[in-house]
Amino acid sequence: MTDVAKEHLVMEHLVTLTYHERLTDNLNRFADNLLEGRIIGAKCPNCGRVFVPSKGYCSLCVVPTTEADEVELPDTGTVTGFTIVTPVNYYGQTKTEPFVYASVLLDGADTTLGGMDITGVTHEELRTGLRVKASWKPREERSVEGMSNRGWGGFGDVVHSFEATGEPDAGEDVYKEHLF
Amino acid sequence: MPATDIAIVGFAQTKSERAATPSEVQLLVPTVTAAIARAGIDRREIGFTCAGSCDYLTGGPFAFVSNLEAAGAWPPISESHVEADGAWAMYEAWMRLQEGDIDIALAFGSGKSSPSNPSEVWAQQLDPYYLAPLGLDPVSLAGIQARALLDSGKATERDFASVVARSRRQAAGNPNAQLADASASEDALLAEPYFRAPLRKHDCPPISDGTVAVVMARGDTARRLCDRPAWIRGMDHRVEAHQPGVRDITSSSSTALAARKAGYDGGPLDLVELCSTFSPQELILLESLGLSSAAASGSLSVNPSGGPLAGNPIMAVGLIRIIEAAARIIDGSANRALAHATSGPLLQQNLVCLLEGE
Repeated sequence: MTDVAKEHLVMEHLVTLTYHERLTDNLNRFADNLLEGRIIGAKCPNCGRVFVPSKGYCSLCVVPTTEADEVELPDTGTVTGFTIVTPVNYYGQTKTEPFVYASVLLDGADTTLGGMDITGVTHEELRTGLRVKASWKPREERSVEGMSNRGWGGFGDVVHSFEATGEPDAGEDVYKEHLF
Repeated sequence: MPATDIAIVGFAQTKSERAATPSEVQLLVPTVTAAIARAGIDRREIGFTCAGSCDYLTGGPFAFVSNLEAAGAWPPISESHVEADGAWAMYEAWMRLQEGDIDIALAFGSGKSSPSNPSEVWAQQLDPYYLAPLGLDPVSLAGIQARALLDSGKATERDFASVVARSRRQAAGNPNAQLADASASEDALLAEPYFRAPLRKHDCPPISDGTVAVVMARGDTARRLCDRPAWIRGMDHRVEAHQPGVRDITSSSSTALAARKAGYDGGPLDLVELCSTFSPQELILLESLGLSSAAASGSLSVNPSGGPLAGNPIMAVGLIRIIEAAARIIDGSANRALAHATSGPLLQQNLVCLLEGE
């Protein structure tokens, strides 16, 4: 083999696969309500656990949930876990300063909302048990683009953050079964 | 041959649909629940669970993980997943049952083809140097196979139409079919234009979303759960070269070998359910199994459900063949059946399951 031949051993093969998918009915209702400033979940008719957003079924009891099982939740809750991300300069990263990624357990819910920003406290003061309340964007600035059927579906872009309320911290019993 | 008697005692499937609104796992929840209910067991009695699906089809890494929620993974269960049709999940669960320490196993398969362009997705399963970069899609590949079959003199375009007409007519009796036509005729089908010559659109499967689940049990447990279990006398799968250009695509030696290894001795069968996704493949598979004349004489029922031409939920369609055969043994209308599933380009890998009543 000559060096000239070796130049041809590299082949570029870029693939793009495109998927088009409608939100499932349960996520569609969740998204519509978020735009109106309401958070809804689904209460399992068997065990009573409240999933936010609804998955369309209870993953522990394996029973479907329908629109009739959906309940409105308050926009207040408790931080159950968090990390402070120091952004590194990888492709697609738009952040330049350290930022918060927190899980919030809404009052009355059994699943957490993930990837939330927490404001009203410094990064050093951020802690599990911190009581927070949604700081909603104005109606016209809310968006649910980017929500999908994959994973938990996301929360859209409808709040600025969850803001610390200044209430006393919630006890560990409130969130120890609901960390993620 | 299995070291122990294992039978199908419960099953369920969704109706094939062009585009289902529920997510894949939402489609699976009622299917798995119905299969377990049909077996008459509590899901906690299941000793092993195996699922089959394809993340490329769903369009997300680890998409298969959420499918497991349909089986109920709390309290924790013993489970596995194959990136393959549910028939291969059933094969793994059947192997697991043979270890003898558990009595009941669950397998399921699921796929939604509707969100993607299947021609784009399935080009990616070809070799990455010569074929995938061409964007060679399954329908074009099947056209090449159909042309090779015509050129070999083994079949005519009327034979293809005959396969489709029978599929459409038989699917009229299948509530889960997506395409059915009780009055389908060869002449009307042959009057249609070519889609990928020599294939017409009806020679190709529909794009489908769907799910399937099966419950298997050992020996006396199977007899207790089901009046007439569908006994799995053998199951085997064999694979040929990946590159279609280096094999004879007008026959399927791996199907013939898998059938022999599954214990099929050439004796009489009541029915065969073949995963013939394109009409010429039914002719290829029948010939490779030595069943062409029995099929032609009408003594053998071929794809009584309508087969994949009537509904093609990829990743479920192979296991559906097995439960369609099992259903007819369980209801007493058949006593001995072969079911077939396939994977890879142009019948590259083939699984055969021999089922009998008792």
